[in-house]
Amino acid sequence: MSAGAGSAGRGGGEERLKRRLLAGAVDDNVRAIENRPRGRLYKRPPITRWIVPGVLGLAALALGAWALFVRPKPAERVVFTPTTANGPTSGSPRLPDFDEIATGAELAPLALSTRLDSQVFPVAVRRIVLDPGHGGSDEGTKTPYGLTEKILTLDIAQRLALRLLAAGFDVTMTRDTDVKLYLRDRVRYANQKEADLFVSIHVNWFKDGRANRGIETYYLGPSDDPFVTALASAENRESGYSRADVRKLLDSIYSDLRQQESRRLAAAVQRHLVGAVREVSREVRDRGVRSAPFLVLVETEMPAILAEVASLSSPDEARLLGDDAYRERIAGALFDGIRAYSMIHDEVRGKETVR
Amino acid sequence: MSAKEKVLSVGIDLGTSQSAIATSNGAKHVVDSYVGWPIDMVARKVVKKSVLIGAEAIENRSLLDLHRPLEQGLIKEGSEKDIAAVKEILGYLIGMATNEDKERKVRAVVGVPAETLRVNKQQLRQVMKGMVEGLIIVSEPFAVAYGIEALLHTLIIDIGAGTTDFCVMKGHYPTEEDQRTLTKAGDSVDDLLAKLIAERHPGIQFSQHMVRGWKEEHGYIGESKNRVLVTAPAHGKAQQIDITEEVRLACESLVAPFSETMLDLLAAVEPEYQEKVRQNVILSGRGSRIRGLSAALEKILADLGGGKVTVVDDPVFAGASGGLAIALDADEADWEKLSA
Repeated sequence: MSAGAGSAGRGGGEERLKRRLLAGAVDDNVRAIENRPRGRLYKRPPITRWIVPGVLGLAALALGAWALFVRPKPAERVVFTPTTANGPTSGSPRLPDFDEIATGAELAPLALSTRLDSQVFPVAVRRIVLDPGHGGSDEGTKTPYGLTEKILTLDIAQRLALRLLAAGFDVTMTRDTDVKLYLRDRVRYANQKEADLFVSIHVNWFKDGRANRGIETYYLGPSDDPFVTALASAENRESGYSRADVRKLLDSIYSDLRQQESRRLAAAVQRHLVGAVREVSREVRDRGVRSAPFLVLVETEMPAILAEVASLSSPDEARLLGDDAYRERIAGALFDGIRAYSMIHDEVRGKETVR
Repeated sequence: MSAKEKVLSVGIDLGTSQSAIATSNGAKHVVDSYVGWPIDMVARKVVKKSVLIGAEAIENRSLLDLHRPLEQGLIKEGSEKDIAAVKEILGYLIGMATNEDKERKVRAVVGVPAETLRVNKQQLRQVMKGMVEGLIIVSEPFAVAYGIEALLHTLIIDIGAGTTDFCVMKGHYPTEEDQRTLTKAGDSVDDLLAKLIAERHPGIQFSQHMVRGWKEEHGYIGESKNRVLVTAPAHGKAQQIDITEEVRLACESLVAPFSETMLDLLAAVEPEYQEKVRQNVILSGRGSRIRGLSAALEKILADLGGGKVTVVDDPVFAGASGGLAIALDADEADWEKLSA
C-alpha cells in the first residue's frame, strides 16, 4: 500500500527525508551499542558526578601519600561531630569491612554485575535531602481512625532533620508542610540541591496487617516479588512521569555505582531501624533490604533509599505510631543508620589518607 | 556485481507469535515463533529431528520441550533455552532466505517493539552474532512506516501478539516521545477470550492455540450478523458452542487503551499537523485484521473532527518488508558489523 497523503512527496525531498530517518535509526543503534541514552534526560549523568570527584580524590590521595602528608586539614574532610545527646559515639577502634558495619551480616551479591567498586571513590556525606512520603490530597495509607501516612512521614522526617542538623549535616526536606508533591518534583528538588543522600520515608500497609508487621528499606533495582511490584506501583502513582520517561530512566540505571551506595545506605538504615523498634515490639519482622523500581529512587542522582519505617495496617503498630516517643525512636534509628553509613565514608577517606 | 549486490539484505519482524522475513531476492517467509526440542530419545525417534520450529513444533508439542522464546516482543530474560530458541528461529528464517545463494553475506534490519530497552537490544545483538554480517535494529512501527513510505504526519499502530506499538512519524527518527508500547495486543485478547469462554462454558476444554485460532478467524468489533460457532470437546465429546459475545468483548478490550494512546500521541503533535495525522492512521500487524477495529477507531477520531484509519495491504509482512526497505537504502557505513 502507499501511504497517500502521509508520504513525504516524491523526488529529492523524499530521498532527503529517508536519509534523515535512516541516519536517525543508525544514531539510535550507535547510542544503544555505546550505552548512551537518547535525549537529554540526564542533565548531568550520575556516574559523571561520582567519577569526577572520585578521580580527583584519588589523584589527591596519591599526591598526599607521595608527599607523606599524614592527614588532610580538617576543613577538607567532613568530620562527623556529635552535638546532641542522641548523637553518634566516637569512631570504631578498627576500620571494619564496609558491609559488616553497615548490616551486621554479609549481604548477598548484587543481582547485576557492577562496573565500579564504590570504595574506589569514597565520597563524604554532607548534604541530605529528606523526603516525607505523600502529602496533601495524596494521603498514603490511612487507618480507619484517621491516622495518615502523610502526617506520620512528615513528623518523622522533621524529627530526623533536627537530629541531622544538630550533628552538622546540611539537611533540607522536599516538603515541610502538608502539601502534595509529584515524585518528579521531589526528585528535581534533590538533584537541584546536589544532595549527597536522598532518604524517602514511608509507612507500609499489608493486606494481612496482623500477620505482617515489618520494616523494610529499598534501594533502586529490579524486583520480581509481586508484593514489591504492587507496592512500587502504588508509591509511583503520583509520579508526573510519562511511560517514555520511565523507560529512559530505567535504561541505564540498574548497574551504576549509585546502586551500590544506595544498597549500603539501605542496609545501615534497616539494621538500625529493626534494632530500635524491636526494643519495644519484638514481633516486628525484619523484612530486609530490598531492591525495587520506586520512581523517587530512579532519577535521583545520589545514593537514595526508600524506608518503609512501620506498617500502619497493624493495629498494634498504629497505636504505637500515635505516640511521640515511638516516632522519635524511629527518627533516631534513621539517624543512626545514616550516621553509620556516613562514618564509613569518613573513615575510608581517613584511612586512605593516612596510609 | 557490485559490493551491494553481493549482499543479501533482509528485513526481519521478530514477533512474539510469528516471525517474518523479507529478502532482497524477493523471498518472504513467516514462521510461528515456537521452538521445541525432543524431550527424550523416544521423542527424537518419533520426530526424527533434533529441533523443530514453527507449526511443526506446535503440532508435536506433546513430544517436545516447547518454547515460545519471545515475550511481549522481546527475548525472555534469564533463560538460556529461550535465547537458544530465538537463535533457532532467526537461523531458520535466515537459512530459508539464503537457500538459493548461500555464498552471499547477509545484512539484516530487525524490528523490535517501540519501547524496547537497550539491554534487550544488546541481547539481540549477541544472538545475531555469527548469523549476519551487518545489523540495524529499528522500532517495529518505524519499519512499517518506512516500508509503506508513510514517513511524515502519520500514526502507525502495529498490533502484534505481545505488544501493540504506536508511532507518530514527524519527519525524524521517532524518539521515545513519539512512540508508545502497550501490552494490550493479541495475547491479551486471547487471555480474555479464554477467560470469558471458560466462565460461560465451564465444561468445555480448549487450548491457547484453539482460542488464538478462533480469534483470528472470527475476531470482530461492533455488530456482527453471523454467530460465531466453534467446536470444542466437553468431557471428551465434541460440542458446538456459541462464542459470539465473548469474541466481541475480548476484541473490544483493545479499543479503550488504543483510543487513549492514540489521543495522547495526537495531542503531542504540533497543532497545525494534527489534522493530517488524524487522516493518516495506519494499522498493521496481525491484530489489524480484527473486523471493525478501524471503524471503531475512526468513531473515536470523529469526536476530534474526523480521521481516517486504514489497514496495510499485507499486515503479516509489513514490518519485515519495511525492514528490507531500510536495508536496501542503508549505506555501507550505516551497518553495525557483527563478527562471530
